[in-house]
Amino acid sequence: MTDARYAIPEERAPRELARLRDAIDHVDEVLVRLLNQRARYAVEVGQIKGVMQLPIYSPEREKEVLANAERWSEGPLAPAAVRRLFERIIDESRRVEREASAEREA
Amino acid sequence: MVIVMQKAAAEEKIEHVMAELTRRGFDVHRSTGADQTVLGVVGDVATVDPREFELLDGVQEVVRVSEPYKLSSRTFRPENTVVQVNGCGIGGKEVVVMAGPCTIENETQLFETARAVARAGAKVLRGGAYKPRTSPYSFQGMGVAGLDLLRAAGREFGMATVSEVMEISQIDAVAQRVDILQIGARNMQNFNLLSAVGQTRKPVLLKRGLSATVQEWLLAAEYIMAGGNYQVILCERGIRTFETYTRNTLDISAIPVVHKLSHLPIIVDPSHATGLRDKVMPMARASVAAGADGLLIEVHIDPDKALCDGPQSLYPEQFVELMDELRIIVPAVRRTLR
Repeated sequence: MTDARYAIPEERAPRELARLRDAIDHVDEVLVRLLNQRARYAVEVGQIKGVMQLPIYSPEREKEVLANAERWSEGPLAPAAVRRLFERIIDESRRVEREASAEREA
Repeated sequence: MVIVMQKAAAEEKIEHVMAELTRRGFDVHRSTGADQTVLGVVGDVATVDPREFELLDGVQEVVRVSEPYKLSSRTFRPENTVVQVNGCGIGGKEVVVMAGPCTIENETQLFETARAVARAGAKVLRGGAYKPRTSPYSFQGMGVAGLDLLRAAGREFGMATVSEVMEISQIDAVAQRVDILQIGARNMQNFNLLSAVGQTRKPVLLKRGLSATVQEWLLAAEYIMAGGNYQVILCERGIRTFETYTRNTLDISAIPVVHKLSHLPIIVDPSHATGLRDKVMPMARASVAAGADGLLIEVHIDPDKALCDGPQSLYPEQFVELMDELRIIVPAVRRTLR
């Protein structure tokens, strides 16, 4: 919030900083848990791709995921920023799918 | 009365206090916490001067419990009770989902439902073998044969099991085959039955009575715990109100109230609370958001052909959808769900 009406007085600043950092920690915890949940789904998708004999890399689906993420973002992250973050998430999902399917075959 | 021992009080001091209490005819319930031991004292403590005990070596303080329930009170035991069943802790960080058919009808129905709910992430399989039906002409349950099927299905899919006991004569049969004994809402104040399950060492799932206050409910838990069985799981399943659209009104506020008053875990049964399939999912989400330690949900492989409570049973695909939704809610309330 850059609105001057909501400026934090100096004496309250340290407490407010602590509150915001706690809030960020909570969001991070939720993010990590949700990313892991996403990864669990990716592993299951990998299993189903194995059954259906589909390749792990599916560019059409990846385009769709990225487009969704850009569309859902209401800022302050720019669509391109969300895209960059999701490209990393997809990279890791593909990796976990591949590792899980390699383990199944081993 | 609660006697709080000093932090890191020596074992012999604790034993000395316990011996003194026992000598004076009190029941002592010890709870050893992470850093402090608390002794719950039950009996005629009204005439006792707490200061007498404060003078004993190793005692930090003596607190009178003003609530009529003692063992189930949080004053008695500040730390949450975590009921361990088949490798999962009910009342811990994990939200434990119990699911299955209202009634065990036959092997195919039970195993197919069990397979579906286990795959979706349920940790405990429910299924009634003795059914408290409103009409004597309704299907009354499969009895022991049903319990054997439930045990077999639990083993097959790696789930713990829960089933209702309606009367004292059924306790042995259920306790030998099932992991959690359920006391139904209609039996919440059947004090003989409560005392009898209190003599077992099986976890007990205690449903809230149809018009029971939280205090009456905790007193019912007290009956079980007084027998030395501390493994009690409370289950909110809706209470009678003037509203008739839903079968009962689900008292979501009971979750934070119980968590404040008691150390016992509380789970929610949104199926019986509403009696309507399309209301089960929103109520389940609300319960988890409000801090419920678990859910008890009726799922049937073919609800339209169910012998009991079909209209409130979820289709397996709805249960999968619910679990997916819960996995998004659960991290926000700092819990886990696999």
